[in-house]
Amino acid sequence: MNKFTTLFFSLLFSSIFAQVPVGYKSVKETESFKQKMEEQSKLINTIESDFTQEKYLSVMSEKIITKGHFLFKKVNMLRWEYTEPLKYLIAINKDKMFIKDNGKVSKYDINSNKMFKSINEMMMSTVNGTLLNNKDYQPNYFENDKLYLIELTPLQKGAKDFLKVIQLYVQKTDYAVVKVKMIEPGDDYTTIEFTNRKTNQTIGDEKFIVK
Amino acid sequence: MKNLLLNSFIVILLSSCSLGQYGKLKKTASTPESIPHSIFGENFNSFLFKTNIRVYGKEYSGLLVTKQMEANDYRVIFTTELGMKLFDFQFKDTLFTLHYCVPQFNRAALLNTIQKDIEVLLMNNIKTHPSSSYIDSKQTQNITKIDFGKYQNYYFKNVQSKELVKIEQAKKSRKKTTFILSNYTDGFPNYILIKHHDIKLKIELNLLKK
Repeated sequence: MNKFTTLFFSLLFSSIFAQVPVGYKSVKETESFKQKMEEQSKLINTIESDFTQEKYLSVMSEKIITKGHFLFKKVNMLRWEYTEPLKYLIAINKDKMFIKDNGKVSKYDINSNKMFKSINEMMMSTVNGTLLNNKDYQPNYFENDKLYLIELTPLQKGAKDFLKVIQLYVQKTDYAVVKVKMIEPGDDYTTIEFTNRKTNQTIGDEKFIVK
Repeated sequence: MKNLLLNSFIVILLSSCSLGQYGKLKKTASTPESIPHSIFGENFNSFLFKTNIRVYGKEYSGLLVTKQMEANDYRVIFTTELGMKLFDFQFKDTLFTLHYCVPQFNRAALLNTIQKDIEVLLMNNIKTHPSSSYIDSKQTQNITKIDFGKYQNYYFKNVQSKELVKIEQAKKSRKKTTFILSNYTDGFPNYILIKHHDIKLKIELNLLKK
């Protein structure tokens, strides 16, 4: 084996090993996994859950922890409410977006603002699991005994500037997204963990209108 | 014409008021205690604020975290509530480093103003500038004037509580920016308001955690 072949193989294997997160292995049947994920999301009309968000800032070795409650209802309705240590609410109702901050409500047309539009798409597709079919991300699938781990690498230049990879942790028992980790280019990250998840409970439309 | 005269009169009246506002202060002897200390102290703690920045009708809201890394070395990071980093500043002695900034924030005038405002609160190297001490006519506030050359900062301390309640930044005795510090608990203000008088910029900091 000449020098170049050795180099080629060592690079090839090191990149393969580097891609697989510790404690996980690659999913072989990715198509059947995607199909299962889609089937499960079709069965869900509403989701209600608590969440804990951790923002890790490496230079400060500091975590900013915020907690709240979230509601989702098909089609395209979402209420994302921080309750600790701050009160802040984002609600999306089809093409309208509401933000309640310091008791003041602001209403926006999602399509009028590129940033709101991408926030909406991101949140909805994370909840729906449809992010897997988004052409703007390159997916990689891993698994262990309990979880699937989907790594989504952004392909668009704009997104790449502030996002290195998104990791979705999906429970094997019911295909629910239990944790989302967004890693930035400088390795600071934000994790969101979902707890007390309830599906298909009745949620009134009024929850997605903020006054 | 009548309106023009009236307007001119009001302008003269207002400007003469602002020019003379520090003239009524009575000079007192300076003591080492009269030099203001940074509200962030020297304990390398971090502080988390819910922050709203209103600039010419636009509003940015998020979480601002400050942390002292070493003596006279602070890191200040602003993120959205959802965790997206908006800017990352470092203040080391008189050196400022912009580590990161999203394109929406990357406007020199805005960044520069926010940087200067944070510098006023951090009070790095304040001792190297000439100072003088005053008391107001009601004898309720001790005032220390620090001369930075181009502009002067006036630090208002409550005589009884010794709390820093206000900072005014002035240029040629004309008020440019006011910092209000209130709702103190354990020696730290729970609310800080920064209001600019010559541009439409208002920054509110509500302490969430320290």
